[in-house]
Amino acid sequence: MKSRFHTVLVLSLLLVCSAFGAAEPGGNGDSIQDMQCGGACHGDASINETSSAILSLSSPSTIYVGIPTTLTLTATNLETSSTRLIGLFLLTDMTGHSDTPQDAGWEILSDANGGTMNYLEQTLTPGQNETSISWVVRASTLGSTTFYAAIHHGGGYSSPFFGTTTVGFEVSVEPVPENLPRLAADFAPPTLRMLDTPTELNIETQFTDSIQFEWKSDDGLISNSFVNSTGDNSWTTTIPAALQPTTIQWRVLLEGEGPEQTTPWFTLAAEESSWEVSENAVYLQAFALLFMTAGIVIALQTRFTSKSSPSKYDEAPLVLEELALTDTLSPSQEIAAPPRPVAGLPIGWTEEQWNTHGHDYLAGKHGGGQA
Amino acid sequence: MISSGTFHVVTTELVVGAFSVAGLSFTLCLLLHLGVLKQPSWPPVVDHVAHFTLAFGLAATPFAILSGLSSAPGEGLNSPILVNKMFLSMTGFGFALGCLVSRWRLGNKVWSTTKSAVLHSSSGLAAVGSMLLTASAGGTFARGESLLDLFHLPYEEVLLFPVFISVTGLLLGVIMLVLSWKRMNPSSSVH
Repeated sequence: MKSRFHTVLVLSLLLVCSAFGAAEPGGNGDSIQDMQCGGACHGDASINETSSAILSLSSPSTIYVGIPTTLTLTATNLETSSTRLIGLFLLTDMTGHSDTPQDAGWEILSDANGGTMNYLEQTLTPGQNETSISWVVRASTLGSTTFYAAIHHGGGYSSPFFGTTTVGFEVSVEPVPENLPRLAADFAPPTLRMLDTPTELNIETQFTDSIQFEWKSDDGLISNSFVNSTGDNSWTTTIPAALQPTTIQWRVLLEGEGPEQTTPWFTLAAEESSWEVSENAVYLQAFALLFMTAGIVIALQTRFTSKSSPSKYDEAPLVLEELALTDTLSPSQEIAAPPRPVAGLPIGWTEEQWNTHGHDYLAGKHGGGQA
Repeated sequence: MISSGTFHVVTTELVVGAFSVAGLSFTLCLLLHLGVLKQPSWPPVVDHVAHFTLAFGLAATPFAILSGLSSAPGEGLNSPILVNKMFLSMTGFGFALGCLVSRWRLGNKVWSTTKSAVLHSSSGLAAVGSMLLTASAGGTFARGESLLDLFHLPYEEVLLFPVFISVTGLLLGVIMLVLSWKRMNPSSSVH
């Protein structure tokens, strides 16, 4: 009875402790995510709480098909956990599946963190209770799309919080005016560059006679870079090297026959060179570790186990013992010939017969007991 | 079809769950054979549970490794954590393999002496420890945190041997396996 009580007590403690492990307070990393990260953690209605954050989306008044535009999410009234980490979503649906901008035919060209994700994480500064975050997106079809935003964050007692925009934000995509200077329809801006290396940026445009390149760092100071033409609607410019991991934003001003255009601010993040290793050496060492550990374990186990008592079914030692005993009793090797009688060998016996059967003769067991 | 990331989550949960039960069972085996626990009916039960769960976890391990490689962002082994995960999982695989082969070929004799029982339980526990460390490294890689962070394990440091040492270790391991296997299969006394 006492042991059962202890078992129930331990299980109860484990169940209580599990409440402290809700969600992922360390974040999940920027990624392509549907609402509630596939229904996990913050999406569980039984454990999450409603965020007090107020979310609102905004965009330029006119959006053309195939031309990048900026969608900005503003979050206010933020209350977070001690980590001050929040996760923000850009969505086109509220069903929890197939609700990313890509699912609605939109392409994310650049996000605020230097990637192309619809879910971004941001760490707030102490005391900060509002933030703003942008995505540069491009529509592939005409028509209207309703965008939504959602937020995940922690709170008191590690409870996961979840919130969404109260109403959708509808944008209408219009056809591109003729001869409008613009980036090429298939232009994909880079989002990452290496440290300590100047970045050469190639820009493809359409209906453009000249461009002006601007970039700014975190301090907001706008700088210009010289642009070279490398062909019809093809341009190149160089951005100075970054000395530490940071982000810059850049845009171009396009001039041509049509009205002058300015692209959205694209984010370009600088990071350290990727870590490299010889994969063959890694795989070779991994298999060496596998065979070494298995070999050592089996060798030691065999060594230690071989000294143990033999199986009760193993009769080999007994058989060997009996064989040895039989060999010991072999008369031809161990029994000496009896002394020859003074009167000589019995009549008809040979020397060999006496040596073999002489003992029996003397014992009266052979030849009628006569000596 | 499911993504390799989701498949990796499924397989790692199978591996970690199975190895955790194996770890608990091997601990009980050790305590029973050392006489710390005195439950005469327990040894066969925990012995079977330990080896079955270890075998199950071992069967799921290759799927976890392969799906983990394909679901990692970027191309190939581009992070020291991934390399350490590979080393740890293969080491755990080796410990588990050695433990299971010993139990299979030697039978109950692995529990016949204290030294043998301690070695067998230790190899099982080493397999479990390696796999749990692998899972912890995975948490550090994916989320930036893990339960074992309190030990400040150096996941960012990689101990990569020169190729000739790896080749030598590989050959030694294979030789030990072959010799031990032959030693575990002595010729019948009838012959």
